[in-house]
Amino acid sequence: MVRLLRGEALTELGAEAEYKSPRSRCVLLLLSLPIAPLFIVSIVLGGYAIQPWDALAALSGGGRGEAALIVESIRLPRTLAAMLGGASLGVAGAILQALFRNPLADPYILGVSAGSSLFLALSILTGATLGLWTPTNPYSLYTAAFIGALVVVIVMIVLSGVVRTTTTILVAGIMFSYLAYAVTSILQVFADIEKLRAFTYWVMGSFSGARWSILGLGLPFLLIFLAAMVFLCKPLNALLLGEDYARSMGMNLNRARMLIVAAAALPVSIVTTIAGSVGFIGLSAPYLARQLTRTSNHFTIIPASALLGSTLATAADLISRLALKPIEIPITAVTALFGAPLVIYLLLRGRGVQV
Amino acid sequence: MIEAVDLSAGYGGRPVIAGVNLSVRRGEFVAVIGPNAAGKTTLLKTLANLLKPLGGVVYISGTTTSRMAAREIARLVGSVLTEQPRPTQLTVFEVVSLGRYPYTNPMHTLTGRDRSEVWRALADAGITHLSSRRLSELSDGQRQKVMIARALAQEPRVLILDEPVTYLDPKARVEILLTVKRVARERGIAVIASLHEVELALRMADRLIVVSGGRVALYDSPEEFVALGGPIHLYGLDGESTFSPELMSVEFRPRIEGGPRLFIVAGGGSGSLVYRMLARLGYQFSTGVLHEGDIDYYVASLLGGVVITEQAFQPISPESVRRALEESRDCAAAIYTSPPIGPLNSANHILAETIAQQGIPLIVLGPAEVKGVVARARSLADLSKSIEMVLENSRAVEPLSAKR
Repeated sequence: MVRLLRGEALTELGAEAEYKSPRSRCVLLLLSLPIAPLFIVSIVLGGYAIQPWDALAALSGGGRGEAALIVESIRLPRTLAAMLGGASLGVAGAILQALFRNPLADPYILGVSAGSSLFLALSILTGATLGLWTPTNPYSLYTAAFIGALVVVIVMIVLSGVVRTTTTILVAGIMFSYLAYAVTSILQVFADIEKLRAFTYWVMGSFSGARWSILGLGLPFLLIFLAAMVFLCKPLNALLLGEDYARSMGMNLNRARMLIVAAAALPVSIVTTIAGSVGFIGLSAPYLARQLTRTSNHFTIIPASALLGSTLATAADLISRLALKPIEIPITAVTALFGAPLVIYLLLRGRGVQV
Repeated sequence: MIEAVDLSAGYGGRPVIAGVNLSVRRGEFVAVIGPNAAGKTTLLKTLANLLKPLGGVVYISGTTTSRMAAREIARLVGSVLTEQPRPTQLTVFEVVSLGRYPYTNPMHTLTGRDRSEVWRALADAGITHLSSRRLSELSDGQRQKVMIARALAQEPRVLILDEPVTYLDPKARVEILLTVKRVARERGIAVIASLHEVELALRMADRLIVVSGGRVALYDSPEEFVALGGPIHLYGLDGESTFSPELMSVEFRPRIEGGPRLFIVAGGGSGSLVYRMLARLGYQFSTGVLHEGDIDYYVASLLGGVVITEQAFQPISPESVRRALEESRDCAAAIYTSPPIGPLNSANHILAETIAQQGIPLIVLGPAEVKGVVARARSLADLSKSIEMVLENSRAVEPLSAKR
């Protein structure tokens, strides 16, 4: 009884320790602020300038004419793809970094983009379809990219359920990437210039190709995955203490690994299908999230990575279409040009990298 | 509470230890000792169900662990492992609340009961005041308390600790082990802890599990194990390292050949530190007359000194004094450590004066008044300088006396 009373008194005293730190809440709030303005700006600015009120009218379904058409069929899907795609990449990076306990892990480390590149190369450069799609199908490229990514995802999920050490997954992913790129490069050598150009453009990554026909299938999945992340925070936090500790607290390691790999790779395969491989966001968003929130708690890190990934991708997409208008520069070039100095600056100023 | 029957444990199908039968009751603190690579960690991981047993059964509260889900086991067994958690930015409260893992829902929502268990664990480990600090800011000792509190938050019936105090300073070691013992008694938890610090294990454990050569032996008391010469056999302490059953400690006996020999007149504990200093500096020594059972007697014998003894509680006999004088004849110098003098050892004072009369330079450490003193040392540091000086002088004088 005395013990119980003492426990209750302590609960009162230390209540502030129990909940998310005020800093985490503040940072999450701050990080969510640029989302809405970026959304508007991304719809308004571009090769064809649209007045903000026309944009709003078009968004509310009341617009007419050229502006409304551009907003509905080009700007809105592109913006949504950048926002949700960026969020997915940020989150995928965060959870893979936690799984591999390595701040250099990025969403493509499992070989997802290598797999989709390989299948794209097969499709674009050789015209092969493997009987899975018809070359005349307007979505044949998307189908090829998605199937390529999915093959890798499935291999990786199965692998992560059976291997003994997590490093094996990491090494397998990297080796698989090398293999796929090897085959892809051989295909490229034999391809003619026109086809090569189409292929290269895809590989460089851009949200400019986002259309409703593809997004209608992909975006709901991305939303579901992002929402489901809340169930991964618990095992990810346990993994911060190490795999044996996580198991000693009742975590099923192989099952958790499979879930984490699936939760990272499936959304990335969707993003890769829509936009090619968009580099740097998956690496830098979790890093920035950790620096800004100063916590390792995934209940904070994951939403922060999603918000940062979303912001970075949308801003980079804007710059990629505005910087050298009317030519679009690859989005990875933009993210790296602006992001790399920022990360280096924070690294030099901060306390080093900790997952 | 936890019981192993004919357990064999190892990696990749190859057993490291086999034929383990043991049981640990509620509130008991059992230490696992044994040389490096004997299989202590393998045994503990198997008991904690982090490794599948290669054979045999582990029962916890009467149920086989192989029939239980990971979550069920985690509600019964808490572990503190050798794996050092990386310095994450999680707070102490967050880490300890991870101990509620087997109880909480998939979103890790802490109920009122979860919270009070976390606070109870923090209080039991004595780290309530650290609850909002980050793990990366803590000292090694504090971090280990956090890991213990986290295990306690699992409300375990069995606590498995793998070298829980290895990297800690002596105070933190004792503090952590005493905390674990107290909490285990209060909560009725069975504790199995491997300890590299054999002296600590012998002083702390209720019982011992001794692992060596792929086998496990159980001792109902550490003292029984010591009395049977256990530590000497277990760790092979029969060369430069030795084990003293009386002091219950591991000792180091430097091998010294040649060089000057010193004679020490000591007793009642006044010589212990002198012997240790001489052994460390590489001097051979003889000492006497010491009563058997005197602490000086044990320390001098352990360090390999020649000891002239008298039976305990008997006055020092003329025969013993004669033997001591004979032994002192070969010595380059003598030291009188100002032992407490009473009816049973008053002969030692006379012995010192006689040695001085025979021309052996006598150094006195401490306040005693002795006739024929050539040097006096107030501290042990002083003493080592005096010894050097006296030995140098006697070397310089020797050729002269030879001529005479």
